[in-house]
Amino acid sequence: MSWSNIKWIFLREVRDQLRDRRTIFTIVVLPLLLYPLLGMSFLQVAQFQREHATPVLLLGASAFPDSPPLLADDAFAKEFCPEKEANLLDLTVKPSLPENVTAEQLPSWAEERIQDGEYDAIVYFPTEFATKLMEFRQSIESSSEPKKSEEAGVTQATPGPQLFLNTASDKSRIARDRVANVLRRWRETIVAENLVDRQVPLIATKPFQVVSTDVARERSRRAAVWSKILPFVVLVWALTGAFYPAIDLCAGEKERGTMETLLCSPAQRSEIVWGKLLTIMTFSVATSTLNLLSMGITGAFVMTRIVAMAGDAAHIAIGAPPLAAVGWLLLALLPLSALFSALSLAIAAFARSSKEGQYYLMPLLMITLPLMMMPLMPSVELDLGMSLIPVTGVMLLLRTLIEGRYVEALLYVVPVLGVTALCVLLALRWAIHQFNDESVLFRESEQWGLGIWFRHMIRDRSDTPTVSAALLFGALLLVFRFVLSLFGGLPDSWDGYATVTAVSLVATIGLPAIIFAVIFTRNASQTLLLHVPRLTTLPMVVLLAIALHPLAFLMSDIVTQLYPFSPEVTGQLHVMQRLIDRAPNAWMVLLVLAVTPAICEELAFRGFILSGLRHMGHKWLAILVTSVLFGAAHSVIQQSLTACVMGVILGYIAIQTGSLLPAILFHCVHNSLAMLLSRFHEALPDLIAQYPIVGFFVTASDQGPAYQWPTVVLSVWLTIRTLQWFGRQQYEHTREESRQEALDHQATNVSARFVVNESCGQS
Amino acid sequence: MIQVHELTKSYEDLRRGAFVALAGISFEAQAGQIYGLLGPNGAGKTTALRILSTMLQPTSGFATVNGCDVLTQPALVRRQIGFVSTNTAVYDRMTAWEMVEYFGRLYGLQPDHLRERMDSIFARLQMNEIRNLLGAKMSTGMKQKVSIARAIVHDPPVLIFDEPTSGLDVLVARALLNTVAELRDQGKCIVFSTHIMREAERLCDRIAIMHRGHILAEGTHEELSDRNDEPDLEELFFQLISQHDQCDVDTLASLTS
Repeated sequence: MSWSNIKWIFLREVRDQLRDRRTIFTIVVLPLLLYPLLGMSFLQVAQFQREHATPVLLLGASAFPDSPPLLADDAFAKEFCPEKEANLLDLTVKPSLPENVTAEQLPSWAEERIQDGEYDAIVYFPTEFATKLMEFRQSIESSSEPKKSEEAGVTQATPGPQLFLNTASDKSRIARDRVANVLRRWRETIVAENLVDRQVPLIATKPFQVVSTDVARERSRRAAVWSKILPFVVLVWALTGAFYPAIDLCAGEKERGTMETLLCSPAQRSEIVWGKLLTIMTFSVATSTLNLLSMGITGAFVMTRIVAMAGDAAHIAIGAPPLAAVGWLLLALLPLSALFSALSLAIAAFARSSKEGQYYLMPLLMITLPLMMMPLMPSVELDLGMSLIPVTGVMLLLRTLIEGRYVEALLYVVPVLGVTALCVLLALRWAIHQFNDESVLFRESEQWGLGIWFRHMIRDRSDTPTVSAALLFGALLLVFRFVLSLFGGLPDSWDGYATVTAVSLVATIGLPAIIFAVIFTRNASQTLLLHVPRLTTLPMVVLLAIALHPLAFLMSDIVTQLYPFSPEVTGQLHVMQRLIDRAPNAWMVLLVLAVTPAICEELAFRGFILSGLRHMGHKWLAILVTSVLFGAAHSVIQQSLTACVMGVILGYIAIQTGSLLPAILFHCVHNSLAMLLSRFHEALPDLIAQYPIVGFFVTASDQGPAYQWPTVVLSVWLTIRTLQWFGRQQYEHTREESRQEALDHQATNVSARFVVNESCGQS
Repeated sequence: MIQVHELTKSYEDLRRGAFVALAGISFEAQAGQIYGLLGPNGAGKTTALRILSTMLQPTSGFATVNGCDVLTQPALVRRQIGFVSTNTAVYDRMTAWEMVEYFGRLYGLQPDHLRERMDSIFARLQMNEIRNLLGAKMSTGMKQKVSIARAIVHDPPVLIFDEPTSGLDVLVARALLNTVAELRDQGKCIVFSTHIMREAERLCDRIAIMHRGHILAEGTHEELSDRNDEPDLEELFFQLISQHDQCDVDTLASLTS
């Protein structure tokens, strides 16, 4: 790749976009205009709303007790309703029910009035309210035994006022709150009078009070608010800011017919994609930053105005966002806008026209919005599982940083950035692939139907599956596993556990792989790598599995120490472990937990999926994607990580040996070792006592067995040597891999060859 | 300069399965020569030229440009060709000068050298008045000039023109053909596709008559006339095509009977 070409492409695309009126409008003009306009209208609406008092109807005023008086001059008395609150209530007082409305008809009458909007709330005091209240008071005064008074209170409960409101309407709820406030104060006064009558000190109603002190400093309080709002807004704009330029840069270029002009230039596809990616990223970051600035300035201005209007700033604690928060936000914007840009680019490269490209915005939003929303939920915290989810991980990391929990953030920086970088690279690969794929570049609209497509898939199938068929199959496997997990409870016996495990492995992984290979490929045995390998590979693969075991053991140990299992998962694992330990027959355990998964998973992952993905033309990319799918198929996230690494080795073995058998054998031995170790570790201390030399390699503690460092060193050395042996095996390239190798080879020598050719031409 | 051997290309078609656009064509073109591909629409001319310009990958067979394989050394091939087709448009939001300069830079030309090159090309193609005109404001003829300037800015040994005169008026077309002839005289190897007999007759040193993915006849104009005893290219063209179609009908009939 030549950086100067990327630079020229980048500069051209940026200039091209800047000359486009639409881009300038959406990126610069819109945010600069939008927020001030929104802020202005918000202020006006707020003013408008404040000046309106809520109409409330109070019925049955004649039934009020004389003391304490709730009303004064057809309004609430000052002591229960300060003037500020009284201004917000437009109170209509009627002494009793309206004519020709009985108490039974009242609910429907009130409903009509509120629906009509005549009143926001209606309060009705029953006619006997005052008398009952009086009776109640007298009954407590007359009774000498406090116990009796309680009984009297229960039996002679005063019929309370009825409040009618419509909870579906905000205005009605506001009216309820305002009236309820007044009535509460009134009730408290009545209680106080009752107590005074009984000569009980007022303090008796409140034996203690809870004092809450906010330990959060003012800065972190503000941060808490901003850490939820800002990232969301900024990310939505980062996505939008990436998507529209991407459409113009790819689909638009196809539409205007300049794509072929660019493609026949000497710029390589990867250079074109990088140049375009940088352009899209620039606009994504710029859009987002401008929106952030404009929103921040407008927001600060509007807030000060609102605070001024409200008169007290106590309950509106949002000031300007802390500078550190903005800094972290801008830093997090880079990986995220890289991710969004790469995704948009890949999608836009696929689109035939700008119009088609616009259709893809919705699915993209549908996928990314939940990922952005998830961190807004209060219970979601940054942990290993969350950090591995693209977008969500970065958002959570950002939140942790803004809240100032740096140590916690540091622990997850690597997984979060790693996953993001992986996604960016995959999206870029995909985009480059599209730029190389003539069927995407010169796609013409074709009549599409499910039936036609299915027939085409079977009629025009090739020896091994296509890349998309492999990915589709991988996605289907994950869906199968997910659906199965919805039904699966934990079986309570070993037989039940063995049956469920074996059946689910065969039914959702092994069998589908065979069926897909038979239906959708011409050569199922080539797809599933059902070839006899060179015999020497078999002992080597067993050696590798044994050599690798201490390392794998160490790795899963490190993973679980860094990211511990949740209590539920630990419980489930314990139950399973007990079932396995109590299994009557060790051979059955190996059959169910080593042989069956080895065969089924290898058929699906190293068989169908890897064969299909190798058509991408990059051996390691194919292995990596297969391994990620393989990891994802494991339900416990800590296991997924180790499975992913094992998947890389399995994929390498399958490709280097050209056969599935070594991979199955490796998988089988690997699982068996883990099983045997856990089953027989209890015998280990005796063994060490008998043969002290064993203790040099393995120790047994309460936590279970562990390998000593000499074993680990030996393991590393042996693993490297065996892997080198596999590396020396001649493997069969796919057509795409051979071409890619030739392309990679020529790409490095372009200038040299060109000079030679030119001189040849001249001579 | 250009060698094409048994080149085939088939497209995946959802309904019909594989659709054969090129059914194994072979030809050779030399430096200082204009090689014409003459054929009706859908003959496979554009497909053949797109393979030569590395836009498409052949299904089988091979093609080399100046010794470089189009399938495995596309970057080398692209450095040595200039490609002008109806599908290689000019950028709307770039001026003529910027556009040619941009491609010159992608070819890795040094700034001084590039400026000299561009000055001489702009003068030769009489493009100085449209130097600062945006692509969106240009007429079809002006755009075609920019395309040619773009294709020759790096002084490639091979030039590929896919129906360059389509949509041009007679005057501009004539000027363009003169330019192509001049480029041949400078020793370039030129592949030129067209469906207009007069152009092929006037310009091409060798002609291949294409139809439905096959080359029906190939040679200089004289060779073709002598071989088929028909001096008029247009008559010859119709003869060959109807013969070929008749053959297809016969094979079909023999298959069905």
